[in-house]
Amino acid sequence: MLLTSQPSTDPSPNASVPRERNTTLPGLITKIIFLGVVLAIGVYAVPLLIHYQMWMWLGIMVAAVVLIFVIYLTKRFIPGKYLFPGTAFLSVFLIVPVVLTVGYSFTNFGDGSRSSKEAMIAAVQTESFKRTPDSPVYTLAVGVEGGDVADGPYTLFLIAGDDPSQKVLAGRDGEDLAAWTGQAPTITDGRVTAVPGYKLLTARQINDAWANLQAMAVNVPGGSESGIKVQTPTQAYEGKSSIRYDKANDQLVSDSGQVYPNQVVGTANCFVAPDGKCFQGKSWLQNVGTKNYSRLLTDSSIRAQFLAAFAWTLIFSLASVGLTFLLGFFLALTLNDERVRGQKAWRAFLLLPYAIPGMISLLIWSQFFNKDFGLINQLFGIDVNWFGDQTLAKIAVILVQIWMGFPYMFVVCTGALQSIPGDVKEAARIDGSTGLSTTFRIIMPLLLISVAPLLVASFAFNFNNFNAIQLLTQGGPALSGQFTRGGTDILISMIYKQAFGGSGTDFGFASAMSVLLFILTGVLAAVQFRITKRLENLT
Amino acid sequence: MKRIAVIAAAAVGLGAGLTACGGQSPNRGEADLVIWADAIRTGALEAPLKAWAEKNGLTAVVQTVATDLQSNFVTANEAKNGPDVVIGAQDWTGKLVQNSAIVPIQISAEGVSQAAIDAVSYGGQTYGAPYAIETLGLFVNNALTDNAAPATIEDMVAAGQAGSAENVLCLQVGESGDAYHMQPLFTSGGGYIFGTNADGSFNTADVGVGSAGGIEAAKKIGELGAEGVLKNSINGDNSLQLFNDGKCAYLVSGPWALAGIREAGLDFTLSPIPGFAGLDPAEPPLGVQAFFVASNAKSPAFAQQFVNDLLADTTITRAMNNSDARVPTQDALAEQLKASDPILMQFLDLAQSAKAMPNIPAMEAVWSPLGQAEAAVVGGADPASTFEAAGKEIASSVQ
Amino acid sequence: MSSSKTQTQIHRHSAGARKRWWVEVGWRYIIGLVMVLIVGVPVLYIIGVSLDPQGSTTGSSVFPSKITFDNYTTLLGGSKGPFLRWYLNTLIVCLVVTVLQIICSSLAAYAFSRLRFTGRRVGILALLLIMMFPNVLAIIALYSMFTQLGEAFPIFGLSTIAGYVLCLMGGALGQVWLVKGTLDSIPQSLDEAAIIDGASHFQVFSRILFPVLIPIIATTAMLAFVGIISEFIIGSMFLKSADSMTLAVGLYGLLQGDKTANYGVFAAGAVMVSVPVVILFLFLQRYIVGGAVAGAVKG
Repeated sequence: MLLTSQPSTDPSPNASVPRERNTTLPGLITKIIFLGVVLAIGVYAVPLLIHYQMWMWLGIMVAAVVLIFVIYLTKRFIPGKYLFPGTAFLSVFLIVPVVLTVGYSFTNFGDGSRSSKEAMIAAVQTESFKRTPDSPVYTLAVGVEGGDVADGPYTLFLIAGDDPSQKVLAGRDGEDLAAWTGQAPTITDGRVTAVPGYKLLTARQINDAWANLQAMAVNVPGGSESGIKVQTPTQAYEGKSSIRYDKANDQLVSDSGQVYPNQVVGTANCFVAPDGKCFQGKSWLQNVGTKNYSRLLTDSSIRAQFLAAFAWTLIFSLASVGLTFLLGFFLALTLNDERVRGQKAWRAFLLLPYAIPGMISLLIWSQFFNKDFGLINQLFGIDVNWFGDQTLAKIAVILVQIWMGFPYMFVVCTGALQSIPGDVKEAARIDGSTGLSTTFRIIMPLLLISVAPLLVASFAFNFNNFNAIQLLTQGGPALSGQFTRGGTDILISMIYKQAFGGSGTDFGFASAMSVLLFILTGVLAAVQFRITKRLENLT
Repeated sequence: MKRIAVIAAAAVGLGAGLTACGGQSPNRGEADLVIWADAIRTGALEAPLKAWAEKNGLTAVVQTVATDLQSNFVTANEAKNGPDVVIGAQDWTGKLVQNSAIVPIQISAEGVSQAAIDAVSYGGQTYGAPYAIETLGLFVNNALTDNAAPATIEDMVAAGQAGSAENVLCLQVGESGDAYHMQPLFTSGGGYIFGTNADGSFNTADVGVGSAGGIEAAKKIGELGAEGVLKNSINGDNSLQLFNDGKCAYLVSGPWALAGIREAGLDFTLSPIPGFAGLDPAEPPLGVQAFFVASNAKSPAFAQQFVNDLLADTTITRAMNNSDARVPTQDALAEQLKASDPILMQFLDLAQSAKAMPNIPAMEAVWSPLGQAEAAVVGGADPASTFEAAGKEIASSVQ
Repeated sequence: MSSSKTQTQIHRHSAGARKRWWVEVGWRYIIGLVMVLIVGVPVLYIIGVSLDPQGSTTGSSVFPSKITFDNYTTLLGGSKGPFLRWYLNTLIVCLVVTVLQIICSSLAAYAFSRLRFTGRRVGILALLLIMMFPNVLAIIALYSMFTQLGEAFPIFGLSTIAGYVLCLMGGALGQVWLVKGTLDSIPQSLDEAAIIDGASHFQVFSRILFPVLIPIIATTAMLAFVGIISEFIIGSMFLKSADSMTLAVGLYGLLQGDKTANYGVFAAGAVMVSVPVVILFLFLQRYIVGGAVAGAVKG
C-alpha cells in the first residue's frame, strides 16, 4: 500500500505545516463548551468508577480527560488534535481487548475455571447444602425488631409444614432454633403474618436482603450440625453442607471423610477426586504460564489441524481475491466499450450482489447448496453433494465469495480502465499491438498498479472473514479424525469453535491460538507491505 | 498562556455546571425477574409469566437469546450480568454445575415425573424444575405407506420403499450429524455412550462409541446410508418440512413436530421407533426441559419463588402448553391433556422406553464427535475406523 | 449515438458486417446477459420465497405456488419479534458508527497525509497492523469490559444500542486508507495557498480539503455502512433483549429458532433489508465508482 508514500512534491516540513492562527470567537466558545462537557463527563464518571472499583475504566477515563485537555487546550500537538479521536476509540475498544486476550492466553480461563478459588469453594458449599432427609418444610416469615430491614439483625419465624399445632419457632443468627416465646403472632394459612413489636419483611425486602439471610447461621438443636436455610420468601428448610473446606491442608473434605487434595490435573490445579479428575470438573482461574502455547505447539493433532486450517485460510483468501479480481477485470474489459449500449444499466445491475448485505447473501446461499433441495442442484438438474465433501464445500465457499465480491472488482476495474488515458492505448495500437496484447502488456500492468492496494486490503479482510465461513457452512463438513477443524474452517472460525464450540469452552487455549493468529496476521501484513512498496517503486 | 487559563477556567465552570445537573446514580432498569429462553419458549412463557408476576406484585420479562443460550448464560452469569432464571435442557446440568452457574432448588416432587427430576439432578441435588419432557417417535404418513407401526427398521424400509414416497425416512443427519436424533438407531445397534458404575453413575473411562457394540451400530447405520434411507442432505432445516410436504413416508422427530404436521393436514400415525431386526430395541433419548436458578441472580428470592410455584400447580405449565405443546412432567396436567390431545400424550408412553442422555459435563465432548462420525458413516465412510477414531477423540477429551 | 447507428447499419447490411459485429461487440452482450442471470436468479428466487406463503427451506419449486404478502405482514405485525424496532436500531447503529468512523478517519487521514511529526511512519504501520486484528477474537475481553461499563453506566452496558455502537467504534480508523490515498493525490499547493491567505490548519481541513473529499467519503461511508449492517457475531453476544437487537441479530435468530417455519419470513426480512441499501447504492453509484478508483489510484 502506498500508505507511507510522501506526496510527490514534498516541500520542506516547515512550509507545509500550517500554524494555528488566532482563534475566532465562535471557535473559542466551541472549544470551551467541548472541554466543559468532557470535564463534566469526567467529574460525573470518576466517583462512580471508584465506587464500583473499576480501576481499568477509571484509568481510561482519567487518561482520556487529561489527554483531551493537554491536546486541545494548547496550541501545540497539532497532529495529536487530528489523531486523538480515532486513536482513543481504537485504543480502548481494540487494543485494550487485544491486551486482555493476550493476558487470558496465559491462564486456564474456561469451563470450570471462570472464577476465583474462593468463589469456587463458596459455590461448592452452597451446592452441597443438602436438606436433612425427612425434615419438614417450614413456612417462613422474616422480621426485624427495631433494626432496619436492609441490614437486620433478622429473626426467622418458622412453622413446620407438617405440624398441625402450628407451633411457631424462631431463629436468630448464631443461635439455636427455639420455640417462639414472645407475644403471640398472627398466623394465616400456616404462616406467620404479623408479630407484635416486629416489622415483617415483604418478599421484595427479603429479596434485597438475600445475601444477609443466606449468611445467617441458625442451628437446629439435636447434634446433627444442621442449620436453617431460607429457600424462598415464604419457605425455609433444614440441612447442612456435605462438603467443607479444610483451610489448613488446602483441601475439600466430605461428610463421609473423603478427601479432595489440591493437586495439578492437566495444566492447572484443582481439588482432585479419587478417580484422578477434578471434583465436579471444577477448578479456578489461575496462571498457567506458557502451557497453552506449549500445548498448541506440541500436541500433534492440534498442530496438524492448525496448520491445515492455516493453509486453507491462505488458499481461501488468495482465491477469493484473485478470482473476484479476474472476473471483475474481465467484465470491465468486456462491458467498458463505447459500442456496448446501456453501460450504466449493466453496471447498476451487476453491482447488486455487492449492495445486498453480506450476511443476508450468505444465509441465503447456505440453503442453495443443499444436495437434494437446494436451488443449484434443482436448477441444473445435478446431484452434487456440495456441503458433504471437503473439496466441493471449499469450491462452494469460493463460488459464493466470487458471487459476492466480483461487483466490487468490476466497478474498481471499470473506473481504473476509464482513468487510463486514451493516448496510451492509442500509442500501443500505433506500435502495432493487437487488442489482446495491448490488454496484457499495457493495460493490465497499469491497472494492477492502481488496484494493488485494494487487492491487498481485500486479502487482509478475507484472511479473517469469519462470516463467510460461519454463516455458509459453519466450517463443515466434518472431517474424520479431526474434531476441532471442519473441512472449510479458516483459522478464525476454528478458533471460535475452540472458544465457544460444542466440546467445552476453553478461552485460555483459544486465546493462545488467537495470539498466534494475530502474529501470523502481522507477518502477512509485513509481507504485503513489502510487496506494495515494491509495486510503488515500479511506478 | 493567559488565553489557556481563560479557556480552562471557563471549561471547568461549564463542567461543574453540567455535573450538577446530571449527577444521579444509576439503577437497574430491568424487571424484578428476568428469564432467558430460546426463541421458541419465549413466546409460550410470556403471558403466564406476566400473570404470575402481577399476582405477586412484581414485574417479570422473558428475554430471547438467539444463539448459544447455554454458553451465553454461563458467561453472563459469571459477569453478574445474567438472568435470574434460565430455561434449558437436562443435559446442561453438569456443565452448569461445573461452572457454578446454578444453585440447587427445593421443589416438591409430588405428582412430578421422577425420571424428569432425576434427569436434572446432579451430585445428589436437584437443580432444575422440569416442566416438559420430550422424546423421539416415529411419525408415519399413512398416505405413503401401509405399515403404520413397523416392528423393525427392515420392515420400515421395505414398507417405505414399497410406497410412493420420495424418501423412506426423514431423519435429520445433516452434514455434521445429529447424535440426538440418531440415538435410537445407535442404541438399537448395540452402541452406548458411557458405561455405568455399580452405583449407577456414569463411568467416563468406558466410552461406548468405539466399542464392539458401537461399531456394530455404525455398520448398520452405514448400510442404511448406502441404501439411501439415511441421507446427509436431510438436516434440521428441512426434515420436518419434507415430511409435511409429503416427501417422506416416515419421520423421526419429537413433540415439537406435531403442530406443523397438523397444519399440513396429513393423515398420520405416531408409533414407537423400531429397532434393527434381531438386535436391541431402540432406546430414544429422553429430554427434559427445565428452569434453572442462576447462582448470580439479581433477584434470587423471586427466582426461587418462581421455580417453586411453577410445579406447585398447573397454572403456568398449562398456559405454556397452550402455545407450545409439550409433554408435561406433572401427572395432573398430563391427565387433563390426555383428553384434549391424545396424540401428544402418546409421547408419554414412548418416554417409558426412553433413557435420559447423561447430564455430566463430559457429554459436551460426545455430541459433536459422535454426530460427525455418524454423518460420515451415512456418507459412506468406513464404520469401524470412523467410530474407533471418534471413540478415541471422546476418550481423550474427557480425561 | 454512434453505436446505435452502427447497429442499424448492421441490420440493413451484409452478413459479413453482422459477423464482424458479433466478434467485436455482440459477444459482450452475451457475457453481460450470462452475468445478469447469475446475479439475478438467486435474487429473484429469494423474492419469490418471500412472496410464497409456503416459502420453505426445501425449495419445492423455483416459482412461488402463489403470491401473497403474508410473510411481510407476519414480519411487520411483530409476532416474530419487533421487526420495525430492529430496523430502527440497525439504522441508528449504522448511521452513528458510520458517521463517527468517517469523522475519525478523515481527521486522522489529514494528519497522516499533511502533517509531519515524529512517529508518523511507525504510527501508520502500527495502525495497519492493529486494524487487521479481528475483534471476534477478543470477544470475551469485550464482553467483560462492557459488563463492567454497564454496571457504572447502564446506557453503555450489554444489550444496549449505545454500548454496541461504542464497541464497534474500535474500528474508528478503519477508513483511514482510502481517505488518505485521496488526500495524497490532492496537490499540496491547494492548502499552501490557503495557509498563505491566513487559514488555520483546521480551516484548511474543513473548508478546502473536506469538500474535495466528499466523493471518497460517500464511498467509504457506503462500504462502512454495509459492513456494519452485516455484523452479527458481536451483536448476538451483546444484544439480548428483543428490543435492542439489530436486523442481523434478529433475522439470524429467526432462522436459528425455527428454520422450517421461518424461512419465508426470513426471506421477506432479507428483501426489506436489502432494498433500501441497494437503492442507496444505485443512487451513490457514480461516487462509488469514482471513489473506489480515486482510492485505488493512489491508495
